[in-house]
Amino acid sequence: MKVSSEPIENCQVALNVEAEDAELDKYMKLAYNHLVGRVAVPGFRKGKTPRSILEQHIGKEAFLQEAMEHMIPDLYTEALKDQKIEAIDQPSIEVLQDEPVKFKAIVPIKPTVKLGSYKDIRIESSKKEITDDDVEKTIEQFRAQKATLVSVDRPVQFGDVITMDIEAKQDGKVVINRKDAVYEVVKDSYVPLPEFSEKMVGLAKGAEIDFVLSYPEDYKIKQVAGKEFQLKVIVGEVKEKNLPELNDEFAKESGQETVAALKGQIKKSMQETVDARGRQEFEQKSLDSAVEMSDVQYPPIMKKREIERIVRNDVKNFPDGVKGFERYLKSIDKTPDDYQREIEEIANRRLLRAIVLGKIAEEEGVKVEEPEIDAEIERMVSGSENQEDLKNFFNLPQSRDSISETLLTQKALKVLTDITSGNAAAESK
Amino acid sequence: MHIYEVVRRPVVTEKGTIMQEQGKYAFEVAPDSTKEMIKQAVEKAFKVNVTKVNIIAMKGRTKRMGKREIVTPSWKKAVVTLEAGQKIQLFEGV
Repeated sequence: MKVSSEPIENCQVALNVEAEDAELDKYMKLAYNHLVGRVAVPGFRKGKTPRSILEQHIGKEAFLQEAMEHMIPDLYTEALKDQKIEAIDQPSIEVLQDEPVKFKAIVPIKPTVKLGSYKDIRIESSKKEITDDDVEKTIEQFRAQKATLVSVDRPVQFGDVITMDIEAKQDGKVVINRKDAVYEVVKDSYVPLPEFSEKMVGLAKGAEIDFVLSYPEDYKIKQVAGKEFQLKVIVGEVKEKNLPELNDEFAKESGQETVAALKGQIKKSMQETVDARGRQEFEQKSLDSAVEMSDVQYPPIMKKREIERIVRNDVKNFPDGVKGFERYLKSIDKTPDDYQREIEEIANRRLLRAIVLGKIAEEEGVKVEEPEIDAEIERMVSGSENQEDLKNFFNLPQSRDSISETLLTQKALKVLTDITSGNAAAESK
Repeated sequence: MHIYEVVRRPVVTEKGTIMQEQGKYAFEVAPDSTKEMIKQAVEKAFKVNVTKVNIIAMKGRTKRMGKREIVTPSWKKAVVTLEAGQKIQLFEGV
């Protein structure tokens, strides 16, 4: 075997391998042993055909093809060892000639990273405080959810809920005809038609009204834009929304003793959400600036794999798989090409982040120890049923690996954010 | 009968391949050919010397096509023995 290799762009190595006759012969024999049992030649029982007759029968090319199928992977692994190349994925192999067999393999190798001076990154963390105003707003929403409807004997106002019989005609054809339809009268509503709710205001129970409305020419839904409808409405009941009073009673319904306690609890949980989001943003920002100052190169196959992963994940959201997904793309007016470009961008960003973070973890000596994984598994199973089964599942080597990876990412992010927030420098002083 | 019509095709089988080691080659030949004719035909076609010719009459086999029974044609097989060391390329493969 003659091997030569040369690095080419994007973290790939071109490997030129030429097989020697003895090697070819060995694999030809192997190919014969494989084929002889499968091919029935007239006049011979399966497995009894001599090599020369078999070659004549199926053709030299097919024979060589079979031989190369085994030979190339073997020679490839041997060549990798010979050249001390660490491949991270399947190579793309191109056969250059048949006799002697010569092939070229493009081997993807580990990405190279030149980290910038990530230790100098400083990022302002912006902490957002939840104000009492925010809490008030949330409580208002709570009250609106808990509102009860009370029939009133007065003309319709905005904010009321009415029942009505409605009949809509378009060019004399009835398109809607419903009895006792429930309708919430909201200002500037587009449902069912623009200005419909305005027409309702001021009507009393039992009132009958005929009017004509049309959609504006530039309406979003093309089928009805500019169309005219004749409507006939008979108002049934008029109901007022009755918001529950904000008192301890209300608080108890939400699981708290007093209004103050409820407010406190809402504030706390809102603050937690905001903090978590802030922390995440901060992590992303830190990582992004680390990525920005780094020089990363990776083989294209990594991107391809990442894209595959994203597509698989996206498709999984649709019960009928790829078909449903394509329909969805159509419904949001995107061609598969647009989508492809979009996820390519995402894949690129994700890869850069992962590679840079991995490198930082390496530089900073971040490691995950076995007991930490145990602790994490303990934490994950706690509070769930059949803990034993879950534990067994998490203790499988693959899931342990993936847990370890997650932990490593978390720890590395922690180290990075400590640096970018200036905490690490303060500690070392 | 012309000499070119005597030898019809080589018979390539497991048994035939084994016999090649002893310098024996099998052919399907015309049903009304004689040993002498076969000898001349093989010598002319393959430029070899034939020392012996054996003839076997191959009976047609009965086959069933649904309800009907058919008999495949009978034919004549000849095994020719060459002088030691001689070979017929036609059988030797690629």
